[in-house]
Amino acid sequence: MSAAVEVAELVKEFGGLRAVDGVSLRVPSGERRVLIGPNGAGKTTLFHCVTGTLAPSAGRVTFFGRDVTRLPEHRRTALGMGRTFQISNVIADLTCLENVTLAALGTDPRKWMVQRPVTALVDVRRAAQASLELVGLAPQAGETVRRLSYGEQRQLELALALTARPRALFLDEPCAGLSPSERARIARLIGGLPRTLTVLMIEHDMDVALGLADRVTVLHRGRVILDGPPAEVQSDPQVREVYFGHV
Amino acid sequence: MTPARLAVAVALVAAAVALPHVAGPFWMGLVTQMIVFGLLALSVDLLLGHAGLFSVCHGSFFAVAAYTTAILQVRYGVPTALAAPAGLVAGTLLGLVFGLAVRTRGVYFILITIAFGYVVWGVAHRWSSFTGGDNGVTNVPFPAVGSWRVESHVEYYYLALAAAALLALGYRVLVRSPFGLALRGIKGSESRMRTLGYDSNRHLYAAFVLSAVLASMAGVLYVYYNRFVNPVAASFPVSVEAALMAIVGGTGTIAGPFIGSAIILGLRNWVSSFFELYAAVMGLVFIVAVLWVPEGLVGLALRLSGRTARG
Repeated sequence: MSAAVEVAELVKEFGGLRAVDGVSLRVPSGERRVLIGPNGAGKTTLFHCVTGTLAPSAGRVTFFGRDVTRLPEHRRTALGMGRTFQISNVIADLTCLENVTLAALGTDPRKWMVQRPVTALVDVRRAAQASLELVGLAPQAGETVRRLSYGEQRQLELALALTARPRALFLDEPCAGLSPSERARIARLIGGLPRTLTVLMIEHDMDVALGLADRVTVLHRGRVILDGPPAEVQSDPQVREVYFGHV
Repeated sequence: MTPARLAVAVALVAAAVALPHVAGPFWMGLVTQMIVFGLLALSVDLLLGHAGLFSVCHGSFFAVAAYTTAILQVRYGVPTALAAPAGLVAGTLLGLVFGLAVRTRGVYFILITIAFGYVVWGVAHRWSSFTGGDNGVTNVPFPAVGSWRVESHVEYYYLALAAAALLALGYRVLVRSPFGLALRGIKGSESRMRTLGYDSNRHLYAAFVLSAVLASMAGVLYVYYNRFVNPVAASFPVSVEAALMAIVGGTGTIAGPFIGSAIILGLRNWVSSFFELYAAVMGLVFIVAVLWVPEGLVGLALRLSGRTARG
């Protein structure tokens, strides 16, 4: 079977800077893969190139056997990519329910419907509500997103990625800036996702990262320096040096 | 609908129907004009208030529809049943072309729509053999379809009122639909919407064309009311004022653009009767609106009553 996500010799240059410098990685279907690395290692840029937010300078991205390197972002979403952002990207003027409703409709041709009110689409509404329940935001369904707390906006961010039932989830520091209890909640939620779903996650919190990962990829200065099971990565001297600083 | 809103709606309809019995021809003309420009403002607001695009070329669709209908009706004797739809089609076709502006955003979108608007104005102004130049096309008759014909300004007022009511209802359905919600999503965060699977440019293009259709309808209603059309209809101030009507009344609402149209046209009529520099007064009104009441009067009322603005 082909891998869920396969990246080959991916390069992304910004002017003279090679943010991603020839990264190759292969994530089998159903795996939980965590990407770690110091700031500026190219993790988020790599995510952007895989999900289509940015176009890579060179290299190839394959999603379940299909070459998606040149596909626009919305088409990749239609193929089953779900994405969260490091900095919450939610629609502040709409309610929580409207946000996840848009997520539910994003991969549905009924997003073009003009003649019926959106609230009349019962199945869409149900999917949207289910997604809010999953992340624990059901009580805030009618609340304008602008009024939510930071932690709640992170939960919504995750709900947006999950609503359209993706085949692979790309989570960019889902726990960033959360309190320890909120972190634990998100970690439990991610840990409880069905194993049919492939998860790629960028995470700085080592406890969260190593607790969830089947396998860890370490990036440093745009390159992969190690790829292995959590225990191996944790004890690797090179990783300790680049990631935890000179000891 | 709450009983209070129902009461307001019934009162408004009753007042609108009864108006010709209490108001003279001058006032009927002014109110008809408010309805027509309210529709134009509403068309601009589909982009401004819902999709977050500030178009400054909607006078073009309005004018091209008006000119097409007028030229066919006056010069070629084409009956209303064909001339009016032809005007609508002409404005829509122009919308399909000008819709390419959605490839740009922000200030570039504003600039390109200004440029589009000037092209149309230039054609109306300079191609005198076809458009009549500065004199425009005059002697447009009242509309007549078969044995039914409009014979007075009062009858035309009722026609415009009915058309506006139907279009406003259609608009309400549109903005509450999945498509309408997607436009508000794009206004809020286009990058997020792309990640959710929306081809935002296609959504914005469709919204642009729909708003051009509505502006064209306003143009057809305008030419039968005004009885003539000249390059002023295609001019930059018409496009800008339509946007400002929406802003003064309240963007993202349906009543807002009509209220804004009523305030601005009413104020202009009143001020220009005793003050030559009325344009300066209008400018001050816009500055006050943008600086202190950016959500418009409807938005302000909703905020004061603790609700959020919604179509």
